[in-house]
Amino acid sequence: MTAAERPVSTAVLAPNRANGAALRASMAYMVAGLGTVLLMGLLGLLMRLDQAGMLVISPAWFYRVMTLHGSGMIAAVLLAALGGIAAGVSATTPLSARALWIALVVYMIGNGFVIFATLVGGFGGGWTVLYPLPEHGIVWSLQAALAMYAGYFFVALGLLIFCVHILIAMKRARGSLAKALAWRFLFSLGRDKRDALPRPVELIAVVIAIDGIAAAAAGLIYLVPLFAQASGVVTSVDALFAKNFVLLFGHTMANLSIYITAGLVYAALPAYTGRAWPTSWPVAAAWNLIIPLMLLNYSHHLYADFAQPVGLQLLGEIGSYAVALPSFIVTIIGALALIYRSGIRWTVAPILFALGLWGWVFGGLGALLDATIPVNQVMHNTLWVPAHFHTYFVLGALAFALAYLSSILDALSETSERRGTRAAAWLYGIGGAGFILMFFVSGANSVPRRFAVHLPEWQVYARIAVPFVLLLALSLAWLSWDLATRFGSAWRATRRAVAEP
Amino acid sequence: MNPHTVFLVLIVLGAVWTACWAAVLVSTRRTVPFERLEKSETRLRLILLGGFAFVAIALFALTLRWLPYRESRVAKMGAPHTTVTVTGMQWNWALSTRQLPVGVPIEFAVSSRDVNHDFAIYDARGRLLAQVQGMPGYTNHLVYVFPAVGEYTVRCLEYCGLGHHTMSATITVTDR
Repeated sequence: MTAAERPVSTAVLAPNRANGAALRASMAYMVAGLGTVLLMGLLGLLMRLDQAGMLVISPAWFYRVMTLHGSGMIAAVLLAALGGIAAGVSATTPLSARALWIALVVYMIGNGFVIFATLVGGFGGGWTVLYPLPEHGIVWSLQAALAMYAGYFFVALGLLIFCVHILIAMKRARGSLAKALAWRFLFSLGRDKRDALPRPVELIAVVIAIDGIAAAAAGLIYLVPLFAQASGVVTSVDALFAKNFVLLFGHTMANLSIYITAGLVYAALPAYTGRAWPTSWPVAAAWNLIIPLMLLNYSHHLYADFAQPVGLQLLGEIGSYAVALPSFIVTIIGALALIYRSGIRWTVAPILFALGLWGWVFGGLGALLDATIPVNQVMHNTLWVPAHFHTYFVLGALAFALAYLSSILDALSETSERRGTRAAAWLYGIGGAGFILMFFVSGANSVPRRFAVHLPEWQVYARIAVPFVLLLALSLAWLSWDLATRFGSAWRATRRAVAEP
Repeated sequence: MNPHTVFLVLIVLGAVWTACWAAVLVSTRRTVPFERLEKSETRLRLILLGGFAFVAIALFALTLRWLPYRESRVAKMGAPHTTVTVTGMQWNWALSTRQLPVGVPIEFAVSSRDVNHDFAIYDARGRLLAQVQGMPGYTNHLVYVFPAVGEYTVRCLEYCGLGHHTMSATITVTDR
């Protein structure tokens, strides 16, 4: 990339002496997260080959791989997202590198427990660890289940440390959380501008920190009775209570990834389009609304639990529709407006941001249909469900996280991206679209999810998907190689950077 | 609800979205000052807000009419003709009867002896027709009218361990 081809403004990404250490910690999150994504993606390929009948994995190993793939992917994408948001915030708000590193270490200890529980302990209870299955595994021990619980405990604790630190840092920088959430501006309908408004990425960091704390608390509330039961303090745990809390934890963790990485679009896309994206009233309103709405929509996974009060089922449907509204009307339309007739140069970062916008909406359409209770009756727990969240993840959150890391390297690295890498970015989109589309087709043909063995008539969908998965894997490897070759230079730049004007 | 209809809706909406997205990407060959777009952006947001709210309210109204829960189905279909007790267990289904009549409401009282299961009814063409969770400590009631005589397959759709994919049963539906 020549100087003329550089993004219009990279000032917001430029490190200074105050944030260099925090930026390095953030980049470590992103590398750890994206590296884990690559490994977990390979496990996903193995599963798809098995479902296509092209590779035979024993059911015991399939379910262990499935468990590790699911839990590892959720944790990895979230980790990369957390790194991105910390990098974005640290450009203007001092963050403690020590706090970030502590949270990362605790989080990775959790990941270590999960790997140990699945690969060594033989745990194959699924990433949802839905009570009481972990304790009725038959082919795995209670100790393996406890190791899995311990993994989730440390992941929740790492998330909690991260989120609490973000809230403390933002409160310190802005004077209060109300100011960090732009409440005076929001509740005066945009008229009262006495408080300096947070940048969108800062506002979003506070929003996701609040929901992250709620998710971590739900995870801990889920785990405490299970540990109590394992130690003999209580005899049983209510299955419906457990399901509500484990989904509030896990579903919100997955949701956090997409909403955090949406924050990265606000942080970096303006630099490529040459257009500002400030905290307007719609932005402040949308993201404040996300706080309660993100915590409501998990219950669309419980529609088939007829014991759940009908009022909660209807609330789940309303919450699922409502959470889409601010995201689409404000963030997606805002990002498209930023791009429209902007003369943007299609380098890797904006290509991936654009793909992420496509995937977020397409996955959202699949999710909204499934969140409609009568539709859910014939779609729940078919491959339609992984279809929509793989669309969010592969062509939403992951694309945004890769784009943001690429934008950091654009700003800091002395090594430019290779022109061919742009082709890899587009191929990533094609591979991803083909891959997720076959999941949707499978779901429409009622193919169940989480089946180690597929009937012959179901295998055709996986067979068509395999070439797309391979394309996805190759393009991701290509993108990762390009990012890796530019990373060292950017890392060194964080040490010698001077304060931005 | 036919899953293929749902897929068609997704493809149509997805195609509209993809066309709009692609148009924005292609538009970047030309430039206009951002300030000139602001009014159009606000107008577009308001139109979309109204459209989205209308569709969401319509879908919610349809939902209220087609709820799968016992009271709603009984109100629509009438009192159940037969009640079948179903117990899920790793990795089998125990049904009080597997011979059922066509065209009348059947109530399935579904529970579990061990972990969470999902009682899902498939027709002979492999299409999912209805489902309800089988949960330890709870009994969930699914009311369903079999539309035609023939063999129906019951599968477990809630992951329940090593033999999850093998957990199936057959229901034979006959003329009364």
